[in-house]
Amino acid sequence: MLKSKAMQSPRTQALMLIGPAFAVYATFAIWPMIEVVILSFQHWNGLDPQREWVGLENYRYILTSDTVFWVALRNTITWTILAVIFPPTIGLLLALGLNEQLFGRVPMRAIYYLPVIIAPIAVATMWRWMYDPFFGLFNQVLTSLSLQAWIQDWLGDREIALYSMFVAYTWQYVGFSMVLFLAGLQGVDRSLVEAARIDGANRWQVFRHVTLPALRVTLAIVLVLSTISSLKAFDIVYGMTGGGPAQSTQMLALWAFMQSMQIFDFGRGSAISVILLLVTLTIVVPYLRWSQRDEGAAE
Amino acid sequence: MTVMTTHLETDTVEIKRRRDPFLILLWLVLVVFALLWVAPVVLIAFTALKSNAEIMATNAFTPPETVAWSNFSGAWERGNFATTFRNSAIITVIKVPLGLMFSAMAAYALARIKLRFSKLLLLFFLFGAMIPFQVMLAPIFTLVNGFGLIDTYPGVILPYLAFGVPYQVFILHGFFKAVPKELSEAALIDGASHLTVFRRIFLPISLPVLAALLILDFVSTWNEFAMALVLLQDRNMWTLPLGLMSFQGQFSTDYGQLNAAIAMTVFPAVVVYMIFQRYFVSGLTSGAVKG
Repeated sequence: MLKSKAMQSPRTQALMLIGPAFAVYATFAIWPMIEVVILSFQHWNGLDPQREWVGLENYRYILTSDTVFWVALRNTITWTILAVIFPPTIGLLLALGLNEQLFGRVPMRAIYYLPVIIAPIAVATMWRWMYDPFFGLFNQVLTSLSLQAWIQDWLGDREIALYSMFVAYTWQYVGFSMVLFLAGLQGVDRSLVEAARIDGANRWQVFRHVTLPALRVTLAIVLVLSTISSLKAFDIVYGMTGGGPAQSTQMLALWAFMQSMQIFDFGRGSAISVILLLVTLTIVVPYLRWSQRDEGAAE
Repeated sequence: MTVMTTHLETDTVEIKRRRDPFLILLWLVLVVFALLWVAPVVLIAFTALKSNAEIMATNAFTPPETVAWSNFSGAWERGNFATTFRNSAIITVIKVPLGLMFSAMAAYALARIKLRFSKLLLLFFLFGAMIPFQVMLAPIFTLVNGFGLIDTYPGVILPYLAFGVPYQVFILHGFFKAVPKELSEAALIDGASHLTVFRRIFLPISLPVLAALLILDFVSTWNEFAMALVLLQDRNMWTLPLGLMSFQGQFSTDYGQLNAAIAMTVFPAVVVYMIFQRYFVSGLTSGAVKG
């Protein structure tokens, strides 16, 4: 048995090894991506055997008549910008701090990472309860500090609901950026840091001229991953507000899901998906090209 | 010689550091921040162990006076946890090892066997790691429905595999690529097949990376919500996150039980993380840093 396998050409062996991963990936990840584009040009309720081609009608409707789409688009953009700024910045600061030889840095790293392991839907449930206007933690704490004036209906107020949700999101994902930065910091040359210190550079100068340049690749990875994970904000919105109040916290991923799976308009839902997919590709493709070029240079 | 000097250097640095006021301040800030960060988790744990009367009467951060374990048994019964727990366990236990196996095999072949299209194939896999599946929930539903697999284990496991593979292939490819040629060449010249080299040489040396990927994959499979929401509609097939969501909808005012439900959902992932965490950062680094 083993002998006969050794006889097979490397090519055949390679195909056997790649086969399972390729088959499942092509069928259940790549095909749906093609299907979503096809569906976006059709009218379909998800059940009928017949699907009707309608050309660009779904896109026309979404862009001109669907007011929720524009709210969702604006929220998605706001969310993405916030998600690229706050969790990575806090994560970098924590990583820099916890990279020093400090007492208790291992348990502290674990604490900051803990929320990453918690199911997003559980995070939504937790925070929804903490934001409860009557019994929630936040308003209780504010009351006990005699700051009643600051009491809010955190998730019920259209002006602030999105930002309340974002705080929960930040709480969950800071640890993720932190771990990536910590891993990146292990690649910073210690002797370079020491040399700079001996030459009289202060902490900021060492960070600016030694640490930061060495973190360039990590930084790119963190920013791209943050962008992508923010675009797929789904669980937390579904669990905390369901897009409400009055669709004010609606996002593209959730709105696409609702159009298809709750309103049973697969065409419009898919058109929203395609738009989100295009937004994602404009970020992903340049990154892929950049990382491939980097690899080429390294070889 | 070199070892001695570096050792001495770190010692002097540490002595200097202990007196550094900047580091004391930094430590204080990090500790205060860590307390804030862990507060919600403590709150959940305390509330889950309090009776509803005690929740109303006491401060949120007061430890429970009498431990109300009944919250857990109550939530377990009402939330149908026996069923959702079993479903989550079955799906995770099948999906995670199988996915790692597929990814490792593919990553080995792409990194170690000369193929004309290996670069293109790698890019093809990498592409999937960047695309959020949340975008494609409707066509995934249509596809799985077409196979007649809605409300079945394979119906969720197959898409989970598909969306887990790309990232793992990417990380493992980086790791395998960095392994010195000498390690595999001798065996290959002696007539061993690639399958043997993969199993006997590459799998054993990649255990730390596999452990890191195992944690990541266990956690994300255990916690997955959106796809399960679409693909599992029968209550008896629900996974834990779906059960928790429905529990929140029905019993949102029974705070003790609600928090017990959250704790039970989160607990297994936390345990797995604690068991494997020492591999975590080292494994990720060895995979990400290319040789």
